Amino acid sequence: MEESNRYVRLFNDIDAATVATVALILVATILLIVVSQRGLNWLANRLHGQLRFRVFALVPLTRLMILIAAIVIIVPMIIDPSLRNMVTLFGAIGLAIGFALKDYVSSLIAGVVSAVELPYRPGDWVQIEDTYGEVKHVGMRTVQIQTPDDDLVDMPHLKLWDTPVFNANDGGPSLQCVASFYLAVEVEAGWVRQALKDVALTSAYLKVDAPIVIVAEEKPWGTHYRIRAYPVDPRQQFLFVTDLTVRGKRVLGEAGVKSAVLPPDTVLDAGGEMSRPRG
Amino acid sequence: MPSPLENAAPDPMKVVELEAFTVPENTPRSTSRRLFATLKTWLTGKRDAQRQAIDEEKLRKLPEVRLAHLVPPVDWSPAADDLAEALDAHLARSPIVFFITPPYGGHEAVVAHWAKKHGVALAVPPTLEALLTGETRWREQFAFMGEADGPRWALPALERCLLRSTRGIHGVRAFLTDALAGKLGRGVIGCDSWSYAYLAHLVGLEGVPTLTLAALEGEALAAYFTQAGEKGARLTVYSARTGHPLVGEGPSADASQHELQILAAHCRGHLGVAWHYWRERLREPVADSERDGELWLLDALAEAELSNDTGDVATLVLHALLLHGGLDDRALGEVLPYSHHEVLNARLALTRRELVVEHGGRWQVAPLAYASVRALLVSRNYLVDPL
Repeated sequence: MEESNRYVRLFNDIDAATVATVALILVATILLIVVSQRGLNWLANRLHGQLRFRVFALVPLTRLMILIAAIVIIVPMIIDPSLRNMVTLFGAIGLAIGFALKDYVSSLIAGVVSAVELPYRPGDWVQIEDTYGEVKHVGMRTVQIQTPDDDLVDMPHLKLWDTPVFNANDGGPSLQCVASFYLAVEVEAGWVRQALKDVALTSAYLKVDAPIVIVAEEKPWGTHYRIRAYPVDPRQQFLFVTDLTVRGKRVLGEAGVKSAVLPPDTVLDAGGEMSRPRG
Repeated sequence: MPSPLENAAPDPMKVVELEAFTVPENTPRSTSRRLFATLKTWLTGKRDAQRQAIDEEKLRKLPEVRLAHLVPPVDWSPAADDLAEALDAHLARSPIVFFITPPYGGHEAVVAHWAKKHGVALAVPPTLEALLTGETRWREQFAFMGEADGPRWALPALERCLLRSTRGIHGVRAFLTDALAGKLGRGVIGCDSWSYAYLAHLVGLEGVPTLTLAALEGEALAAYFTQAGEKGARLTVYSARTGHPLVGEGPSADASQHELQILAAHCRGHLGVAWHYWRERLREPVADSERDGELWLLDALAEAELSNDTGDVATLVLHALLLHGGLDDRALGEVLPYSHHEVLNARLALTRRELVVEHGGRWQVAPLAYASVRALLVSRNYLVDPL
């Protein structure tokens, strides 16, 4: 009897009015979240440059603030928020999580951390494990990443705990792209360097005020040249790399520059570098 | 009796250093009015037709002949005189001086006029063929020009020496490197402000004296349009929105400044662009008016519409046209990463929307679209001009 009284004291008297109020708050919370998410996404998709990324960053933060506000309002209506009650409640919740919902709740908590620490925001280009693409939506449990092949990948936030997140533009419009050229050793490196720089300088996609760097690296089979430059908009990265590659090949071809010839058993050291713009 | 504006008519073509150039600002009243109109249009989906002093249906466009008398093409020769004065100081400390203006800003006419007046040799830009093949012999003409003391040559339109392709930048880069080193003697280079911005990154023009025309405020625009028309005509231009006279007989200084300051701010103080807006908005009554020579200025800015979701191809075409001070279809295809067919389609679509017009044998961003195109390119982080 005493045990059941203790649990009864944990909760306030819940009457029909309380239930209706809680339901109303929940509906309002859902509505607010839907409206704010859609509204901010709609607005951000109509903006460009830095402003676009700032508005995108507001999406998960706004949702988190609305959720916290709803919890702060609802919890005292259901539970008497004394220290003893809170310890009891959190103990019970912790037990349930520990046995059944560990990963799910871990993702939810990581989602809260991601909204504060911002390791990725909508509009960012990230690589998590083998997935590279644009962050389309940062949800409560997962982050949605759209790959260049147009696949939508739902990545649980809990990856944050133990997996590095490679963020190519980190909430800004600057995203470095790399175009690689593999040339024979005997080609005059100074000429190639200037020619490749001119290729970057004359690209329509080039972000002119960002640096252009030509990197040359000697390999046993030839010389590996890379153009490192930035497109005006991160979304143009594949078009930019393609433009650099196509025009670079043309310039080098017209000058009679020979490509490197790889021995049949050599594996490219760049490993999948060309599968994505960064390298 | 001269109007108050005529009494204190500011110089409409004052040459200043690039660092001294400042863009006119909207008056607080006009900013709030536009914000309110935008909000109202957004909420109601209809354009604001508030408080028009005259029904626009009672007005009509002026015949071309009359328009040519009332708003004749801008005579840039006064700027050439001002340029001559400014050059005296700058050419003493630098082998070359740039004179830049935005599209329709008259740099080519000003430099050519100055060169003719002072007997300075005019350099001829390379042909498109030379730019496409990377042939740089056009630079040789500078070695044989003029006397050793004083300015030896003038190149009125440097943008004609540039094509944004690996071959098209060779000549201009070599030319500017030699010119900056003083190997070509003293010279004056006219250049489109957009090409100048690109060349500043390509070659590095830091510290090179660069002159431009000062931006015109609303008052200066009113004074210019008052004096630009046919001599001896008693013309008065009224605002279609307020009914107040803007220029001509007894303009209300406040109304005139307010209306024309909006225009000045919208055109970033560029006379060449403002001139097109003025021409486009000028109307006369359909019926005979009691007032002789009565003219009206429409309130709307008569702009070509540029949607915020303009695609990449269209944006790159507009940007390429600005960077080169206009291009023909063949050259346009050479500077963009698309097939000539795609570029032509994009250019045709832009022409149909009146965003691109033919100007001097090349396709150029239309003057009435210039402000919105520039705003679009700024919002998308593209390279823009310093003016």
